[in-house]
Amino acid sequence: MRERMADPILTVPTGSGTAFERWRERHLRILMLAPTLLLLAGLTLFPTVYMLTAAVQNVSPDPDVPREFVGLGNFARMLTDPELHVAVRNTVVFTVVAVTLEFLLGLGLALLFDKYIRRLNFLKTILLVPMMIPPIAVALTWKLIYQPQFGVLNELMFRLGLPSQAWAGDVNLAMATIIAADVWEWTPFIFLLMLAGLASLPSEPYEAAQVDGASAWRQFWDLTVPFLKPVIAIALLLRIMDALRLFDLVFILTVGGPAGATETLSLYIFKVAFTFVDIGYAAAISLVVLFATVGFSTWFIKRMRLAD
Amino acid sequence: MVRKFCLALAVAASALAISASAWADITILVPSGSEGDGLRAAAADYAKLKGTKVEIVQAPYANVFEKAANAGQTKSGAFDIVLMDDPWIPFFAENGHLENLDAYFAKMGVPGPDNDFLGKSLAVCRNPYNTGPFVCIPYVGNAQLFFYDGAKFAEAGVSGAPATWDDVYKAAKAITDAGGGRFYGYVFRGGQGNNVVADFMPLLWSYGANLFNADRTKVTLDTKEAKDAMTMFMTLKGISPKGVESFGPEDVGRAMTSGIAASSINWPNWVATFEDPSQSQVVGKISYAPMPAGTHAGSSEIGHWTMGIMSAAKNKQEAFDFMAWATSPEQIKISATRGNPPVRFSVFTDSELTSQPQFRHYPTLMQAINFSTPRPRHPKWPEIENALGIELSKAVAGTESPDQALANAQTAIEKIAGISQ
Repeated sequence: MRERMADPILTVPTGSGTAFERWRERHLRILMLAPTLLLLAGLTLFPTVYMLTAAVQNVSPDPDVPREFVGLGNFARMLTDPELHVAVRNTVVFTVVAVTLEFLLGLGLALLFDKYIRRLNFLKTILLVPMMIPPIAVALTWKLIYQPQFGVLNELMFRLGLPSQAWAGDVNLAMATIIAADVWEWTPFIFLLMLAGLASLPSEPYEAAQVDGASAWRQFWDLTVPFLKPVIAIALLLRIMDALRLFDLVFILTVGGPAGATETLSLYIFKVAFTFVDIGYAAAISLVVLFATVGFSTWFIKRMRLAD
Repeated sequence: MVRKFCLALAVAASALAISASAWADITILVPSGSEGDGLRAAAADYAKLKGTKVEIVQAPYANVFEKAANAGQTKSGAFDIVLMDDPWIPFFAENGHLENLDAYFAKMGVPGPDNDFLGKSLAVCRNPYNTGPFVCIPYVGNAQLFFYDGAKFAEAGVSGAPATWDDVYKAAKAITDAGGGRFYGYVFRGGQGNNVVADFMPLLWSYGANLFNADRTKVTLDTKEAKDAMTMFMTLKGISPKGVESFGPEDVGRAMTSGIAASSINWPNWVATFEDPSQSQVVGKISYAPMPAGTHAGSSEIGHWTMGIMSAAKNKQEAFDFMAWATSPEQIKISATRGNPPVRFSVFTDSELTSQPQFRHYPTLMQAINFSTPRPRHPKWPEIENALGIELSKAVAGTESPDQALANAQTAIEKIAGISQ
């Protein structure tokens, strides 16, 4: 029978030292974890409990006015708030279009690099640069690009003999400008994950498929996509969750305008909480968004069978 | 031993970091930009002079309100003084975030700020407006001016300062028509929210309209005067550059400094930029005028930066002493040389300043302040401004007719203000 090695950390001295020393040794793990646990509790538990309680209360900006319990009143307000409905619609449109484009471009680029330009590492580095730039800097850069009078984009349009555009100032183009900037910034993220996924694929199934005369498309559809499914699912999940929180690009480029065309949920929650100082209502909206995101993520993970 | 030393060092460093702000005698929250920079410089002078440690917390415009509201709501005492934009005053005062300054003035042996301050500058610091107790002291004397290229306007048939919005339109249209899509007679902030509202309000007032009636029991955007103002606003939009629908102050400033646009409503702190050869192609070409008239006398939007003491402040008397010092005639003059418009008659008329080109707009600015109008003094102004800003943005973007936008704004503001029709 194999003898169990004594774990120096797990070993609890029993017969020596004072009672305090023995207690300390026995609870050393808990003691060492306690500061971190307390910090985490403070940073996550407190805000969550605060949000849950505020969502069912009317929280006055006046600290001397006691909070008033309003039950589901704040949630009911959401049903008749037209600005919120616009924000939800815009957020969904943005998420669907931006994440779809990022996925298609990211996957396409990854396939291209994996198949044909494996050795050009500097190109990969260049492609990853947008993702590494701070989001505010990205937004400011695109603001300058879109500037109707001095921006590079209209200069390009002029040189091509095309009419200049108002871009972020055009109600029909504003959302597209936000999506374009987001696609530029986050396609590299999908590209990176896909490239890593492709690099880890086994070569044998492809060799067998080639022997069987499978076309490149069949190989991609029947081998690459199923093999990549977990990576695709993770990439999409992360991007969708991030896109639902879109704030910085909109805040810098359009402040939700023109005519509410780019108002997003995060921007609206920010306005309700910090401009209108209506903390109860902002907490209620945040809570619904949180549950919707968690619900969607759970469904998505099950649907993609990630748990397997 | 080493481990104990490192642990002690870490604890000490954490304690130092946490209590850094607590060391300050006074902590002041200020906005980014010239207003905050000016007060930061004054605070440094004060610290040297009095030996008082003054901590300045600087944040972007929107975040100053957010931080101050949060500090007020939680009674955190994080800030002793807040440099506030004047439309925020009703919110802070009516929610108990600001200290009534009457007792502090009484302790000084005076009833309130002295008469050298302009009347309109003091009026915004009382809550209710012009009648209530002082809850702040004015520091930066902002009021909108009408900026225009005198030579271009003269060439377009309007000599001297345009007296009416019709004059502005006449000259601006001629400039736009001759500009071939590259030069424009007028430019404005059309971006949703505060931007479009700030450039619409002077037109509203100059046509004799307002958002509310005198006792704030009725929203008055359904009047003929409001519709006339909206008509002129949209007419001017028609001769403005492409993309004004998303323009903020920087876009308007850049259009003017590059010579692309010939006129705009703007804040006086842009004067320094316009007169700086490193930033402007129109140095010496821009003239500054009071707001043109519509069917009524023109009126600028007042946008003073004022200093108030937070109710939960830890060092209220020290804070008041600093405010009294920073708003003295000598300090307001120094503040003016740092690019912040003054709030005192003696500084506006100081020949040492007015003889210099960069202060040549002072007589006009003083006149603009004296004939200015505050934004509606309502504790829910941020919400009202948002609702009006969305509807104006819809009108400017063309997704709603101007009349429909006014009607929708009327309904939205009535709902926010709790006014039944």
